[in-house]
Amino acid sequence: MSATVLSVRKLSVFLRDGRAEQTVVDGVSFDLAAGEVLALVGESGCGKSKTAEAIMGLLPSGLARLEADEIRLGDVNLARLGAEAMRRVRGRDLSMVFQEPMTALDPVFRVGNQLTTPFRRHRGQSRRDASNSAEAMLRRLGMPDPDRVMRRYPHELSGGMRQRVLLAMAMACRPQVLIADEPTTALDVTTQAQVLEDLVRLGQEAGTAVLLITHDLGVVAHYADRALVMQRGRIVEEAGVGDLFRAPTHDYSRALIAAARGLSG
Amino acid sequence: MNGRPSAPLLSVRGLTVEFRQPGGPSLTAVRNVSLDIPAGGVVALVGESGSGKTSLAQAILGLVPAAAGQVLFRGEDILAMDRPALQKTRRAVQAVFQDPLASLSPRRRVLQTLLEPLEQFGIGDRGSRARMAAEALAEVELDASLLTRYPHELSGGQRQRVALARALISGPELVVADEPFSSLDVSLQTRLVELVRQIRRRRGVAFLFVSHDLAVVRRLADSVAVFYAGRLLESGATRRIFAAPAHPYTRALLAAIPVPDPGLPPPRILSGETPSPLTPPPGCVFHNRCPEASEICARETPEERSLPGTPDEEPEHRVTCHLHND
Amino acid sequence: MNGRVETWSRLKGDPAGVAGLLIVGVFLLLAAGVWAGVLGQGWADASGGRWESPGAEHWFGTNVLGQDIFERSVYSVRTAFEIGLVVAVLSTLLGAALGALSGWYARTWVDGTVMWLKGVLDAIPFYLFVAAVAYALQGRPWAMHLAMVATFWTTTGRLVRAEVLKLRGQDFVRAARTIGLSDARILLRHVLPNTSHILLVQGTLALVAAIKTEVILSFLGLGVQDGVSWGLMLAESTQEVPAGHFANFAAASGMLFALLMGFNLLADALQDAMDPRQASL
Repeated sequence: MSATVLSVRKLSVFLRDGRAEQTVVDGVSFDLAAGEVLALVGESGCGKSKTAEAIMGLLPSGLARLEADEIRLGDVNLARLGAEAMRRVRGRDLSMVFQEPMTALDPVFRVGNQLTTPFRRHRGQSRRDASNSAEAMLRRLGMPDPDRVMRRYPHELSGGMRQRVLLAMAMACRPQVLIADEPTTALDVTTQAQVLEDLVRLGQEAGTAVLLITHDLGVVAHYADRALVMQRGRIVEEAGVGDLFRAPTHDYSRALIAAARGLSG
Repeated sequence: MNGRPSAPLLSVRGLTVEFRQPGGPSLTAVRNVSLDIPAGGVVALVGESGSGKTSLAQAILGLVPAAAGQVLFRGEDILAMDRPALQKTRRAVQAVFQDPLASLSPRRRVLQTLLEPLEQFGIGDRGSRARMAAEALAEVELDASLLTRYPHELSGGQRQRVALARALISGPELVVADEPFSSLDVSLQTRLVELVRQIRRRRGVAFLFVSHDLAVVRRLADSVAVFYAGRLLESGATRRIFAAPAHPYTRALLAAIPVPDPGLPPPRILSGETPSPLTPPPGCVFHNRCPEASEICARETPEERSLPGTPDEEPEHRVTCHLHND
Repeated sequence: MNGRVETWSRLKGDPAGVAGLLIVGVFLLLAAGVWAGVLGQGWADASGGRWESPGAEHWFGTNVLGQDIFERSVYSVRTAFEIGLVVAVLSTLLGAALGALSGWYARTWVDGTVMWLKGVLDAIPFYLFVAAVAYALQGRPWAMHLAMVATFWTTTGRLVRAEVLKLRGQDFVRAARTIGLSDARILLRHVLPNTSHILLVQGTLALVAAIKTEVILSFLGLGVQDGVSWGLMLAESTQEVPAGHFANFAAASGMLFALLMGFNLLADALQDAMDPRQASL
């Protein structure tokens, strides 16, 4: 039984739509244990991305409102943290990888420049040390010729490579929690396996807990330990991956699995 | 893929599509591809990004020019047609695009969008056209009340059905669809796939659809053409390709898909990167990643061959690989 | 994309926009009154004594020639709108047409020519250009209109070109081509309507710019020849203010300020209301 590293209690997110408010996340609660991969699975619009944004403190202010009893990371309640304090937590203890590798990297800076940033900012390393750390990270990802990759600009890399660089950046500070929001949806299926394996392996090596957000049940089946099924802002089922696929208890989970299995024949 | 005695509805022969960068070298998106679409058949073009499958579909629709080759529709090369002949062919070959929000004109109502092909092709008259529009919506299981809506007032699934209705309203013989299911959730995909099967059974219309999602392909397509870096590596009946893929890339592709069953082995990783279209490698385009590559693969481009042993009523199983050179 | 209903309701909810709409509405009514021959007809009559103070007979007083300042101010509203509307409509149409063509045929000679033209016109200092045109077309009342249209279209053209370039690659344009629609039809029916948010806002801005420009031109003596405008009134007031008579100056600048303020509020609110990105989250 591992220690709980992230504890979410009664998290709700409301979006302002003109004068009315829409509930997109409705009283979500769950625990994330150290070193585990927890999948948050559901169809588009179910609120899984907004849940992640809420935890990261990245909700669009003015348009979205957050309510939570607690979002506890270690012994800090993120829900009560101010913007400045939240910024320190982000990147160091809590980091995120997004869906679109195309737009997540700044096109005018070289990859090396961007990859060394978390080392310099959060670990206070010098430029040379940060550069070495960055290279070591890329090598751990099994990338051939990391030196050359660092000198490239983002547009010179393929989508898969970019996503792996982003993964390296997110893991640079060995955060307690990594949230990956549909990290491979925009990638080719032959690259997907590589990136997901890297994700899981890096997480295990660093003891980082991973919250993996996806709509793909195949990904859940092979890369997650436990799964939360989300529908219309609520968690309808929580189970170990084996149990979920063998004997889903909620109708919606059953329907999702059936649809996914039906298509794959 | 022509195992049938009757001539194919659409036949692509040696098609090459190039894009010239402004002030730079040209990029070959599709290189020397040949495939057939039988009347009423469903052919899927699969492959990953940069494989050329979308460029091929666009070339067939006449949206991008071809550098070489022919596209024979009912025996006539549509690439060589003049405007009036091309217009007649357009009516028989219609399209559905990937993102329904972008493919429906945002400031036109559903009714206007459906009327447009009817007006353009001179089908029916003012009275009958409105009726045809309502019928088109009914065929895709949408209520006629949606005729007055704008695209942004519809859900994603509804929009894609409208796009399908627009493609079908002029009574085409072939519908070319570019990733028509990709923007939909799994449950919506299943419903739309089912709808397409019904329509195909009812109307006998042929479908050529581009997809990167092999699960959908397996459910819908009679035959599959596998693309990689602009080349057609393997093609044949869907069942055969999935059960006994001949090309190492096809095998790798199938092995990389995560199947929603934790009991089965995890997806296998294919190392390496897709070659850049600007600098194609010598020899076989897949050799630098191929687990079964040998010395000849780096030197010579393999030729497409037809594998023996497929029954007559099935389309040919063709493969472009040195492993099958005998 | 927004329907008209959504835009309208968004506009109604914006207090600044409503204020702008009201102000512009009031002025529009005044202009209509002048056009209809009901208001401001006595702008040229020397109906009073020199420099009479504001009173019951002449609400804003009179100027050096004894002309009623109120009548002149009201007539000037019509002048302003006339210039504004003519220039706004023509320059927006011209900008839309040339912008659409250069965007659609980007990187061809069509685009090259239009961009070159744009560059040339943008490079000439505006008031010099207008002065030259006005001088060349000596006396003709539409000289100023022509000069303004010829230079105002460039901004709209640039924005429309960028938007058309973006729209050109979208699937709904591809879909139109698969039906075999001609380029012209696609541009008119599908592409240009999707630039209407740009055109409306640019048109409003052109209207404001035209009114302001006319004021300066009239002040310089290059503007309105037959009639009165706030610019002319301001020019007159340069003599009067040192003599201690502010009525002319106050009336002209006050009304000018009010109208331009109203239009600015309206244009800002319109832009927000029409912004398609507001529709999604």
